Amino acid sequence: MPKETRYRNRIELLQGTLDLLVLQTLQWGPQHGYGISQAIKTNSGDVLRVDTGSLYPALHRLERQGWVSSDWKVSDNNQSVKVYRLTAEGKKRLASERSRWEQFSEAIARALNPQGQEGEA
Amino acid sequence: MRLPGWRRRDDELDEEIRSHLRMAIRDRVERGETPEQAEAAARREFGNVGLVREVTRDMWGWGWWERLLQDLRYGLRFMRRGPGFTAVAVLTLALGIGANTAIFSVVDAVLLRNLPVREPGQLVLFRSVGGDRFDIGGHNGSIVRDSSGQTVKSSFPYQTYTRFREQQSALSEVFAFGTIALNVNAFGQADVASGQAVSGNYYTALGVPAVVGRTLTDDDDNAAAPPVAVITHRYWQSRFGGDPAVVGKQINLNNNAFTIVGVSPPGFNGTMNVGTSPDVTIPISWESQLMAERSRMKNNVWWLRLMGRLKPGASLEEAQSQLSGVFQQSILEHRAARISRAQAEGVEAPAPLDPNAPPRLAAFPGNQGETNTRLDYKLPLYTLFIVVGLVLLIACANVANLLLARAASRQREIAVRLALGAGRGRLIRQLLTESLLLATLGGAFGLLLAFWFKDGLLAVSDWGGQQMSALEPRLDLRVLVFTVALSWAAGILFGLAPAWRATRVDLAPSLKDNFRSSSSSPRSLFTKSLIVAQVAISLLLMIGAGLFMSTLFNLRRVDPGFNTSDLLLFEVEPGLSGYEKEPLANLYRQMSERIEAVPGVRSVTFSANPLLARSATEVFFYLPAAAAAAGEGEARPAGTIHVNEVRENFLGAMEIPLLGGRAFTTQDDARAPKVAIVNQSFAKQFLPDGNPIGKRFGFEPADAGGIEIVGLALDAKYTSQRDKAPPTVYLPWGQELSALGSATFEVRTSGDPSLHVAAIRQAVREVDRDLPLKGIKTQVEQADETLAMERLFAKLFSLFGLLALVLAAVGLYGMLAWSVTQRKHEIGIRMALGASRVSVMKMVLRQGLTLTLLGVVLGLAGASVLAMNLRSLSHMLYGIEPTDPMTFVVIAVFLMLVALVACYIPARRATKVDPLVALRYE
Repeated sequence: MPKETRYRNRIELLQGTLDLLVLQTLQWGPQHGYGISQAIKTNSGDVLRVDTGSLYPALHRLERQGWVSSDWKVSDNNQSVKVYRLTAEGKKRLASERSRWEQFSEAIARALNPQGQEGEA
Repeated sequence: MRLPGWRRRDDELDEEIRSHLRMAIRDRVERGETPEQAEAAARREFGNVGLVREVTRDMWGWGWWERLLQDLRYGLRFMRRGPGFTAVAVLTLALGIGANTAIFSVVDAVLLRNLPVREPGQLVLFRSVGGDRFDIGGHNGSIVRDSSGQTVKSSFPYQTYTRFREQQSALSEVFAFGTIALNVNAFGQADVASGQAVSGNYYTALGVPAVVGRTLTDDDDNAAAPPVAVITHRYWQSRFGGDPAVVGKQINLNNNAFTIVGVSPPGFNGTMNVGTSPDVTIPISWESQLMAERSRMKNNVWWLRLMGRLKPGASLEEAQSQLSGVFQQSILEHRAARISRAQAEGVEAPAPLDPNAPPRLAAFPGNQGETNTRLDYKLPLYTLFIVVGLVLLIACANVANLLLARAASRQREIAVRLALGAGRGRLIRQLLTESLLLATLGGAFGLLLAFWFKDGLLAVSDWGGQQMSALEPRLDLRVLVFTVALSWAAGILFGLAPAWRATRVDLAPSLKDNFRSSSSSPRSLFTKSLIVAQVAISLLLMIGAGLFMSTLFNLRRVDPGFNTSDLLLFEVEPGLSGYEKEPLANLYRQMSERIEAVPGVRSVTFSANPLLARSATEVFFYLPAAAAAAGEGEARPAGTIHVNEVRENFLGAMEIPLLGGRAFTTQDDARAPKVAIVNQSFAKQFLPDGNPIGKRFGFEPADAGGIEIVGLALDAKYTSQRDKAPPTVYLPWGQELSALGSATFEVRTSGDPSLHVAAIRQAVREVDRDLPLKGIKTQVEQADETLAMERLFAKLFSLFGLLALVLAAVGLYGMLAWSVTQRKHEIGIRMALGASRVSVMKMVLRQGLTLTLLGVVLGLAGASVLAMNLRSLSHMLYGIEPTDPMTFVVIAVFLMLVALVACYIPARRATKVDPLVALRYE
């Protein structure tokens, strides 16, 4: 079915960045899936919208890799929600993902703006 | 069916998704949307729940495993929901797979299995090729022609064995074995056993250890060594009840005391032809002692099979080329031995050799030991394999049709799942898992059936009677692997097309409630072709059955030229116990008199060869006129004739009419002039002018007029019902005593011969209590044994043909029944519009019978093509043409009748459709 492959492609495309965004969001404290998606949406000024079909697989994968952990909490209106938190491993991962992303975006910026680079040198 | 923790994890995921949706809805409501709007929007935003669940589950890492379990769970639920369907499908498959498994176990045992020895792949079997005009003296073994028309002989003289053992070659071991007939007298009970004489290294070279005691060694194969014997596990079990104390005990073999030193392992039945098992094995060095005057060693007969074991890395070709030279040398030594023996006996030395074309040595793979009889079974076994393969195909077609019908009723379920985001590949995989589940279940039941089929198979067919008595087809790991592979192949075969088709649904109409009317036509085309193919295949098998049944019937009805009723046969081999000359004649005389005295015995006679048992003595003979004309030493034989040495009352007792001259009398003994009775075909072929009585012939050129023909008998079949009576000469036993070391007694009784067996045994025991009787059976049983192959074909073709027919009928019935259900609505409308019940019935019948007719036409065409091209099979027929129109018509009509019954039931149901109910049903 084309639908399914579409989802899969997007997961792969976004994988690196989505991981970074999820881990970064969790740095500010434990959060549930819905909260994470809302945070990414708000923090990006409504530009980035995370598909649930990408988010939940990513969360479950990150948990399996040991970068996040989860438990069930009772929310304010007395309903149970699954909450994810960053592990120590996850913090290290976040740092390395971050620096990798910074190098990457710097490199992209330089590639897009060669004159600027010359001027600096 | 689920792993522990799975359900919790699944539930948690569901709960996580639900809480996501709840929070999203709440947020929206807080922003001022109505709850309905909020819910719809949140769901839209979330996307396909089922799909999110599925892709998230994939992240758990064991997605495929979980999916398999899920598929299996669905499959089991699916099977539980249609118990009738499941039962029919599993039973159908079990029959097909069981038949295949049973035949495979026999094919494996007869044609494929290696000897149960160490590294059978290293074994080499030697044969000699060519040398037709190179006189080698006697040969004891098999002589066949290979595909290029060359003579291939199985056996070698002892000289070749010793030469091969001395020669350094690619072989690490060379060993020899030959058959030997044995009378065994153990613990006061006498019987006849099959024996073999082997070189001392036989067991060590094969790598076969003893299970009790020890095997033979080179030290045993020595005239000075004490006489020892090894028995097979089979014989140990059947004769000595598996008593370990037997080892170390003495038994008498042809009146020589031997010590049993060991028992060979179960499953090891020697290296001779498949299905045979030597009961007792002795060293070659004792052959001349045990066989006395008939010793092949003393008489320089080629009687030993030679095998070797290749050194690691060595090849057959190396062994063959290294040993060819020594082989030629050993032939010369053998010839020298023959000449010196002839001179010692004062007879003429062997005829000159044709030195230009001695036999050549040929090496063959020895992994199956001696293989000649295997080849005889190749054609019938592979034919049967094809037959049961066809039956399985029909079974698969049936199950495929059932699955298609089921798939149609599941169309909605499938459409819903597709709409919910299940991938088509995923659905096909699930449907295939279901078929594989069915197939596995069918295979499991098939295996159970096979246990039973296999024994039945051996019982109905007796595979050449005595010849294959040691055949042990086993349902072991190899067979299991075959069954599993076959089941899954079948599962994919019958599952793939329905799965492919089932998932190709057009979503929109299927989801609407009235999709029922759009019964897709490609589906029914596929179904219809399956039905046609089934009918055609079963017709093919039924025609085969018809032809072989007629053959068997014709052969049984053949007049053999003598009276086969109330005739009991048994064989004795007094020669093995040392009887010869006058004591032998006395023994036969006393036996005959004692048995004649048994109440209920009408007459007693005996002959060197039994009738209709594929055994005969064939010899050259000479006529005096031709011999005289040719001059000394150059006489050509007048031809080949069949000879039987018989008691004086043989023709009368067997009820072979005498056309002229006289019968034998007790006066026709060694002192009287030599006489013979010939049959009509002898007279017609060799003495066409005038009365044969008084004419003369002989078996030596120098004595071409030595025997006078005193009687002319009506033709009687000799070797088999199939062969015409050959030119036959009956000789009085008193003048040919040396040919009667063994004899078959024919006892005519009043009433059932088997009732007199005990009394006859007792009569023989009174003459010699140690003389074993063997092969006790009636002449009718003997004749039927000769027809083993014909019976096998007739029975198995009928069995599998009927099975195929039943399966095809079930398929036809199922298809029509389903189609009537599907068309209830249409039929209702037709009836509402005034169609009569008869016309509705006609409509349904027409649908079924058109397909049947198409199948019959195709089947008939296929059968005629096969009949005209399968020469080897049509040679097995007797008294009927392979394209016999009568058989074709009768079978086709029979099949149409069965099809009519299969169609009638659903057709009748169609007429019961109540137009009102059918229309309201919408």
